[in-house]
Amino acid sequence: MEYIALAFALLLALLIALGQAILNDILGERKSDPLEDYPYECGVPLYDKEARGTFKQGYYLLGLLLILFDIEAAYLFPWAVVFKEIGLYGLIEVIVFVGILALGFIYAWRKGALNWEL
Amino acid sequence: MQELGLSLLITLIKVLIIIPVALGVSAYLTWFERKLAGHIQNRLGPTVVGPFGLLQPIADAIKLATKESIIPKGADVPVYYLAILMALVPSILLLAVVPWGPGFQIAGKYIEPIISDVNIALLLAFAFGSLSVYGTIFSGWASNSKYAFIGSLRKAAVIIAYEVVLGFSVLGVILLAGTLSTVGIVEAQIQKGVWFIVYQPVAFILYLYCMLAESGRVPFDIQEAEAELVTGYNVEYGGMKFGAFPLAEWYLNVIALSAIAVVLFFGGWDGPQILGPISPYFWFLFKTFALVFFVLWLHWTLPRFQAKDITEIAWKILLPVALLNLIITAVVVYLF
Repeated sequence: MEYIALAFALLLALLIALGQAILNDILGERKSDPLEDYPYECGVPLYDKEARGTFKQGYYLLGLLLILFDIEAAYLFPWAVVFKEIGLYGLIEVIVFVGILALGFIYAWRKGALNWEL
Repeated sequence: MQELGLSLLITLIKVLIIIPVALGVSAYLTWFERKLAGHIQNRLGPTVVGPFGLLQPIADAIKLATKESIIPKGADVPVYYLAILMALVPSILLLAVVPWGPGFQIAGKYIEPIISDVNIALLLAFAFGSLSVYGTIFSGWASNSKYAFIGSLRKAAVIIAYEVVLGFSVLGVILLAGTLSTVGIVEAQIQKGVWFIVYQPVAFILYLYCMLAESGRVPFDIQEAEAELVTGYNVEYGGMKFGAFPLAEWYLNVIALSAIAVVLFFGGWDGPQILGPISPYFWFLFKTFALVFFVLWLHWTLPRFQAKDITEIAWKILLPVALLNLIITAVVVYLF
């Protein structure tokens, strides 16, 4: 039942979002101006036709680090829930686990992956 | 069969009350924020439309809804529209796991004021929080504008950095409560008689940073950076399509994340019985809006960090602190 509720909420959220997305196409005025769909470029002629070009590789490195750490966090959630039942074994395991994680983290730090200027 | 129909009906009513009310409150939060910003900056804020400018959000909505729909040249149209869905839907779904108060009886039927009381509620909340990064990335990519593209990359970098810290910071609370259910966490605090902020002050500070970063509020609003990026990833959106982005990240996300912070750290609906039977609901809303107010207050008071500082604060300071906090909490929970 709780998941059905979630499905209801999803449906309503989708309806609201779709409504917001297409409202202007229904209600908006339709004047057309040759330059109205010109991408924003401070009023000068467009420098590149395609804005989706290369980007700073720091973003790519951060994406890789996210994969390392966010998945580790996902593993720790179930551990945290049952921690009181598994006791000392769970504690030692998690110290080893976070220790290995910390080694990877220190490696990334020493290599300079966390520095923005590259 | 009748039983099933009745519970389906109750569920539907809950969904149809909670989500529209939250959206309405978000819309009025725009008025509140502008008024607050005005007074912080020694101005009056909106005053023209209605008494105290109270009809301003409605006027804004009508204005946004009747604008012409403009799609920039070279845009990726399906992704351009998909970005709106991806920004708004997760933010609305975040509200589904917030428990607005304790359960009550109506005509022999036990009703909990939460849309979906699942035992993985926190996990769902963080999953929806993570999904909202797609709205940002899609909108920046689809718009075919350099400003939007840079803004979306910056915001994605901020979100993924702070998401890791967010995950590690709440683990301490989960250790103490032993459950992922939002209702269960509040009940654990009421049972112990102590709010978890007493045991986990560090985690709360980390959570607060992450909340500001995830919702793109000052001092982490580098993706907006009006002076350099002209509001960043949503610059090529107009009308209601534009309205969806601030609504999702500035208002709905802030409300939902504040409510989750109240659940995790401030004892949920726990509080003295000052208003009789409705006091738990009052306390929950009061604490939530105190946090929302705090976020708005910061927004109009602080300057913003550089992109470099934001990611380095997350990875080099907050993440080690969060890991240490986790290990120390685990040891202390084991010993006591």
